Amino acid sequence: MSTQTPVIELRHVDKHYGDLHVLRDINLSVHKGEVLVLIGPSGSGKSTLCRTINRLETIDSGEILIEGEPLPQEGKALAQMRAEIGMVFQSFNLFAHKTILQNVTLGPIEVLGMSKAEAEARAMELLRRVGVDAQAAKVPAQLSGGQQQRVAIARSLAMQPKAMLFDEPTSALDPEMINEVLEVMVELAREGMTMVVVTHEMNFARRVSNRVVFMADGQIVEEGTPTEFFDHPKTARAKDFLDSIRGH
Amino acid sequence: MGIAEILQKYGQNYAMAIFETLSMTLLCFVIAMGISIVVTVMRVSPIKPLRLVGDLYVQIFRNIPGVALLVLVAYALPNIRIVLPWKTCVEVTVVLLASAFGSENFMTGINAIGVGQIEAARSIGLTFTKTMQKIVIPQALRSAVLPMTNLLIATMLTTALGSQVPLNPQELTGLVSYITTDSTGLGILPFMISAVCYAGFSFLLGLLGNHIDKKVRVLR
Ligand SMILES: Nc1ncnc2c1ncn2[C@@H]1O[C@H](COP(=O)(O)OP(=O)(O)OP(=O)(O)O)[C@@H](O)[C@H]1O
Ligand SMILES: [Mg+2]
Repeated sequence: MSTQTPVIELRHVDKHYGDLHVLRDINLSVHKGEVLVLIGPSGSGKSTLCRTINRLETIDSGEILIEGEPLPQEGKALAQMRAEIGMVFQSFNLFAHKTILQNVTLGPIEVLGMSKAEAEARAMELLRRVGVDAQAAKVPAQLSGGQQQRVAIARSLAMQPKAMLFDEPTSALDPEMINEVLEVMVELAREGMTMVVVTHEMNFARRVSNRVVFMADGQIVEEGTPTEFFDHPKTARAKDFLDSIRGH
Repeated sequence: MGIAEILQKYGQNYAMAIFETLSMTLLCFVIAMGISIVVTVMRVSPIKPLRLVGDLYVQIFRNIPGVALLVLVAYALPNIRIVLPWKTCVEVTVVLLASAFGSENFMTGINAIGVGQIEAARSIGLTFTKTMQKIVIPQALRSAVLPMTNLLIATMLTTALGSQVPLNPQELTGLVSYITTDSTGLGILPFMISAVCYAGFSFLLGLLGNHIDKKVRVLR
């Protein structure tokens, strides 16, 4: 696996927000089909890291490579590159004025240049996969949070991304809706999607992730398999953190 | 003279004045909407000088009294060899004012969209232009229907600036001055007729605005 070019590779990435050093010398590779869980205390830089990967945020120094290619600077090339990495946000961020179907077809039509008919056929297929095809004609505000998040996943998938980033996809959801979203993600993982998931859902991490990366204060402090990390954390920071999320 | 006689003598003038007021309103509003979209796109663009120009435009024209702006357009522009017909002076003034306020309405609409949807649009690969076209402008337009209805009414009322310059034919306010000097002793009756026209049109526009808003409003 490691002989292949990683789908996502970060080399010595540094970023500041003013005086705040949010990312410190981040080195990380994500290989094809790998599911990486990113975990860490609030403010440790997990969201920032995700956002730099598809260049919603710029970096100060270092390199980010997608399948070995550096991210282009601004402009159309960058927009194209962003489409290759799907992103699912905590707050769904569906387009409020468009129907569920239009939310999913917009990217394929506008960015991939797909015909409307083909985009709609594929969108319906994706909506069926995530179980919201019956809602295709509604607008986002008419759906539950769990349904909206599944649409957001379908919207990303419609771009046929090489990898997907999930930034706390279930933390804005009512508890009874968390599982329906996690199930979709488990299914995606099974199908071989390369995924980076920021989440505190330990069951999900244990079930599907290959690797857990623990961040604190903008640094990668520890990484390992889910079993290693959750059962035998090596660093004091990771132990403290795990205690805190387990409610000790 | 009572209302009946005034209308008998000046009915034709009122009809023309109504047409003038409404046609100026419509023309100015349409142009102002076009300009306010352009100015608003400048104000949210990633290019700093464009943002500055857009902000400056709004700050200037939102904060000058209409009459003062009309004086500038009508009497200062000729100093730099720009001599516009009187009616055009009024229209330019109204458009400058209305577009500044229009841009503010759009900005409010854009701020309501939230950065999340814009990031989502970027993350599926839409360029800045496409994000504007497909996500930001349609939503800003829809959520701006009610404030824009108010602006349309304000635009109509602002065309009364036409009473400050010689127009032929006159609009509703200018006509009042004409009638009161043409026939004495009419009191406020000629003004009341114009006022009722303004109020009636405002009311109808308000209804229309509410109706459109109900249809296109973005559920959140
Ligand atoms: N746009 C910004 N400008 C300035 N500081 C920011 C900005 N975005 C994030 N930060 C700061 O950067 C740090 C890292 O934020 P980030 O959102 O990446 O953390 P996180 O690990 O995702 O936290 P959480 O678990 O709360 O989501 C925080 O201290 C945050 O306050
Ligand atoms: Mg975060």
